[in-house]
Amino acid sequence: MNEEDLKQRIADRMPQCGVTVPKPGRLIATVPRDGLLSLLHLLKADGFEHLSLISCVDWFDEGELELVYHLWSQEKKVHVMAKTRIGRNSPRFLSTIPLFRHAQTYERELHEMFGIAFDGNTRQVPMLLDHWQGPPPMRKEFDLRQYAKDTFGVEERAG
Amino acid sequence: MSQPQAPATAAPATRELEMYFGPQHVGMVGNFGIVLTVEGDTVVRARSNPGYLHRGFEKLMEYRTYMQNFPLVCRLNVMDPDPNEALYAMAVEDLAGLEVPERAHYIRTIVLELSRISSHLMWMWAYGNLLGFDTLGQWTMGDRDYVLDLFEMLTGGRVYHTYIWPGGVRRDLPPGFAEKTLQVLDHLESMLPEYDSLFFNNRIFADRTKGVATLGRDEAVAMGVTGSNLRAAGAPVDTRKDEPYAAYGALDFDVPTMPDGDSYSRAVVIRLEVEQSLSIIRQALEGIPAGPAWTKTPNPFKWEVPPGETYVKIESARGEAGFYMVSNGSDKPYRVHFRSPSYPVGILVLERLLRGASLSDVGHIMLSLNVAAPEIDR
Repeated sequence: MNEEDLKQRIADRMPQCGVTVPKPGRLIATVPRDGLLSLLHLLKADGFEHLSLISCVDWFDEGELELVYHLWSQEKKVHVMAKTRIGRNSPRFLSTIPLFRHAQTYERELHEMFGIAFDGNTRQVPMLLDHWQGPPPMRKEFDLRQYAKDTFGVEERAG
Repeated sequence: MSQPQAPATAAPATRELEMYFGPQHVGMVGNFGIVLTVEGDTVVRARSNPGYLHRGFEKLMEYRTYMQNFPLVCRLNVMDPDPNEALYAMAVEDLAGLEVPERAHYIRTIVLELSRISSHLMWMWAYGNLLGFDTLGQWTMGDRDYVLDLFEMLTGGRVYHTYIWPGGVRRDLPPGFAEKTLQVLDHLESMLPEYDSLFFNNRIFADRTKGVATLGRDEAVAMGVTGSNLRAAGAPVDTRKDEPYAAYGALDFDVPTMPDGDSYSRAVVIRLEVEQSLSIIRQALEGIPAGPAWTKTPNPFKWEVPPGETYVKIESARGEAGFYMVSNGSDKPYRVHFRSPSYPVGILVLERLLRGASLSDVGHIMLSLNVAAPEIDR
């Protein structure tokens, strides 16, 4: 099994990394924030050269943002989600552009939508939002309905 | 009278001009802008300017129940809506542990391939138009209407179908659907040689596009490119083969590739894919098993999905489309992130390929990448 081999290899080289295989073809690797870049280097050297997506989940109650790097290996046919958590207050992380060129765009979006600053990314300029003045809108404290009410005067209908 | 004096300073070395391309342009699906810096007829720099179609779907979905989200997701891509429905359904099925009946898998395959054909035909219209082949556009848009007729018969809707939902599909095939589909397939098969002699075998098309905007295999992978753009660079990468979903594992089809990675190769790969899609639909109609087309889902008003996370992906008309969904056990998704194939291509790759291009090539380079703006903006 590709996934089990990979799980063993990651566990051997990075003991601080928690690895699970939720279903065939998927692997979830969770590391503390200072281990994520090493994990991505390790995976890329292992054939994971396609970065599908960089995602972020706002765990509001725990005061943390979870960064999820989605990598795919065409040779192994495995999709890895490499995850780490960073604090919610003025979040910063290192850019992964040296590893994956198009990380630039994903980081640019996460900067806009979650307010994460990526050190080393020189293009953290607005992308999808137009003259946006409010807080980063994908964070959980941004209330969509309240914003619409305050900005456009839309009243909630009964029921 | 004294002679006029020549100016003391020479003209500036460069005469760069900033030019706005879009956001309303015949070549782009939806609204999408490119800010070009040109010097004479040559593009010096290009900067993609997305966001005109940002509707905040991912945030909206956190406010809606699992069933309320179902009619929302198809609107992620106007051209090719069904893959988004299928992705959403697959993500919810994975988290909720729903089994999908075999018949529904076959119906999904048919619908997904019809959607791919309809998207590719519309692409041919735009691409042909940009290269001055208006007739091709008239034909392909006309033929696309026959495919939309099939969607109307099956789902009631022509553009948006809201048909593939968690647990299967919304209803079974209506009587006479298979026969009508075969008629449309026969017609499209008879038209493909016509498209070829008009456009794809035409020397003017080859002269305009061969060797233009070349993207090699390694660079394409390094920039997150998938789908027909990657296959045009010689890499036979296709999610339908690599991680079969719906009924693709049971069907026989090829993954067309081209070696050069230029505008010409990308166009030819799309043309060859239509042929494969026609064959897939025929096989699916032949092999479709009897049985139910959906499985019973919980009461949509009380449906709480167990906590967990999943990433599902399929091959849309443009490449790898994926859904990353996180549930915290409530009746609404906690987080949804859509991976669109147009996203890396429409921004960094387009900017890279337009650098140094001729102004008259900008339109067809943009089109050859088959970018859909609503997918980028979400």
